[in-house]
Amino acid sequence: MDFRDLASRLGIDEEDFTELIELFVTTTLSDIDKIKKGVANNNPADAAAASHSIKGAAGNLGFDDIFNLAKDMEMQARKGSLDNFENFISDLEKQLDAINNL
Amino acid sequence: MGNKQPYTVLVVDDNLLNLRLIEKSLSKEGYQIFSADNGPDARAIAAKENPDLILLDIEMPGENGFDVIKKLKDNSQTNAIPVIFLTGVSEVDSKLKGFELGAVDYITKPFHPLEVLARVRIHLKLSIATNSLIQDQASKLRQVTEAQVSMLPSPGDNPGALFGVYYKALEEAGGDFYDILNISEKITGYFVADFSGHDIKISYMTSSVKALLAQNCTPVYSPAESMKMINDVLVEILPDGKYLTACYMHINRITKKMTIINAGHPPVVCQPQDGEPYLIKTQGDVLGMFKDAHFGTQSINVSMGDKFFVYSDGLVESAQNKITWVSGADSLLPVYKKIAEVPYDKAPAQLVNNLFGDDSFPEDDIVVLCVKV
Repeated sequence: MDFRDLASRLGIDEEDFTELIELFVTTTLSDIDKIKKGVANNNPADAAAASHSIKGAAGNLGFDDIFNLAKDMEMQARKGSLDNFENFISDLEKQLDAINNL
Repeated sequence: MGNKQPYTVLVVDDNLLNLRLIEKSLSKEGYQIFSADNGPDARAIAAKENPDLILLDIEMPGENGFDVIKKLKDNSQTNAIPVIFLTGVSEVDSKLKGFELGAVDYITKPFHPLEVLARVRIHLKLSIATNSLIQDQASKLRQVTEAQVSMLPSPGDNPGALFGVYYKALEEAGGDFYDILNISEKITGYFVADFSGHDIKISYMTSSVKALLAQNCTPVYSPAESMKMINDVLVEILPDGKYLTACYMHINRITKKMTIINAGHPPVVCQPQDGEPYLIKTQGDVLGMFKDAHFGTQSINVSMGDKFFVYSDGLVESAQNKITWVSGADSLLPVYKKIAEVPYDKAPAQLVNNLFGDDSFPEDDIVVLCVKV
């Protein structure tokens, strides 16, 4: 994942992109918390809503892997299932770490 | 939308990151951005700031994008602002629903900021072009209105005619028309007409009618002769299918005699100085349609202080309630009774106010003339 490349593909400069990524990491962390709570309370609707939020932001920033992951999570949670969400969450956190270390 | 002022875009999305992303890419190109992360805030900002364009996310908690656009379109302050909505790529139904509710375009999510920028540009261009077209047409129509209104004589300019008037044209080119003819010091003609249709062509016709009245309503001709002459010319010059209903009231304040020539127009209401109001019903052809037209004619003796109301059918007809003036005029007599004590110069406005209230709008053009003997 090339930082500069992503920024220029979005048509914004690196400084703005850095700011957006910081915002993305913060909001995604808070969304992950919501998903964890949803899993703990067996509340798929909350998990779906938080996944939807991650999906939207990741998609627009060009983070395709996170976008696809969040999309799968949202679809599954909308059907009422939270199976395998521990793995989903840990994948998500790994992806987010990678971005954070860019 | 001036040149100096930056174009303003309101961005509405519950996803904070998307808000910032759009904000950054658009403000970099010189747009001024307002943002809201929920529907009620968005509507408040739209009403206050009147942005040139709104980007609206559909999926939001609470008031969703569909609710927001519905309310924006229902509000006269915001209903002209173009709305582009943001929707998921596969949601065909929501795209159709957005268009149905009045959106001008959609952007699928995930969106690319450059695509957003391109669509914002094209819709601003479209909106600028449309606005200038509307401005252009409106200014032309305003000229017509001004010309029309300047043709209508005011009570102040005709103190001897002792009349009050209420005139309201619903559209720029109104179909109602009236004129006052000072035939001699104590003889006055009052003419109220309603053209069939309300188009621009008609508004040019009112000047012809005004000229015809000036030429033909003179002491030399009787009221019936004046109307016959005017009718015969109008038959020649009016476009096919166009005609007018009209009432010509001729009052001689020396002989205390009043003559009404009615051409398919609602009946004149007489409010005697002391007595019950009544209708002066006559039957006759409309004006400008038939060469050998026959008009309803009636002459009555009048007394000082008697009042007469001449009006157009907009006062008594209601398309909504299916009332025509034939039945509507009768039902209005109690309303005239109520305003019997109102001075003639205030009576027309009072009458309209009593009938329609302060906030309901008449369905048609209205002219009401109240004349005192």
